[in-house]
Amino acid sequence: MNEQRRQVLEMLAEGKITADEAERLIDALDRGQPESPPGSAPRPKPRPKYLRVVVNSEDDSGGDGPARVNVRVPLQLLRAGVRLTSLIPPQALAKVNDELTRSGVPIDLTQLKPQHIEELIEQLDDLTVDVDQPDTKVQVFCE
Amino acid sequence: MIPQLVTYRQRRRDGRWLRLYVPVLPVLLVLSPLLLLIVLAGLVACLVFRVSPVDALRGTGQLLCALPGTRFEIEHGRTSVLVSVR
Repeated sequence: MNEQRRQVLEMLAEGKITADEAERLIDALDRGQPESPPGSAPRPKPRPKYLRVVVNSEDDSGGDGPARVNVRVPLQLLRAGVRLTSLIPPQALAKVNDELTRSGVPIDLTQLKPQHIEELIEQLDDLTVDVDQPDTKVQVFCE
Repeated sequence: MIPQLVTYRQRRRDGRWLRLYVPVLPVLLVLSPLLLLIVLAGLVACLVFRVSPVDALRGTGQLLCALPGTRFEIEHGRTSVLVSVR
């Protein structure tokens, strides 16, 4: 679902527009995005821009009703964050390593280079994680 | 492009909505004296911890510029919180 269509649905959910207006807006959006003519080369798949985490829980054990979490983080933000990690001073990394080892997680963060994490983020494009439970559904994907 | 508008919406237990629209640039201008102090403190911290201030500034700038489009929406029963950066 593209951004504009989602905005229309949000406005409908918030009661800012009626169902008829939403339908007209969505029709107008569809007309504004004509399909490629037959025979033409298929368009390259657009690169995902956001990492989405959606959690729907119908679990009502707390008595507060169902819970829903919807997080959208730009992939660019992840890349910028990764670049910032390269600024962590070596002595801080050494301390973190010590603590991790003490906690039973022997990971050497000094071996983790920013370009490796960037490669990891590049490959996030194709990531889809679905966790289905009877009363909870978790989805992690890029869009 | 740095964020222009931060939207905060909260539905309270009684069903009423609290809506806050924070225009980032005017708020930054108002807080610019404080911002200057924060930048200075950051520069000193960079020198103390031997981090390149230029790299730190560039990294922070990239982080700020990447913020638009971020959206956090949490609903639990009748309580709901939405933070959106545009």
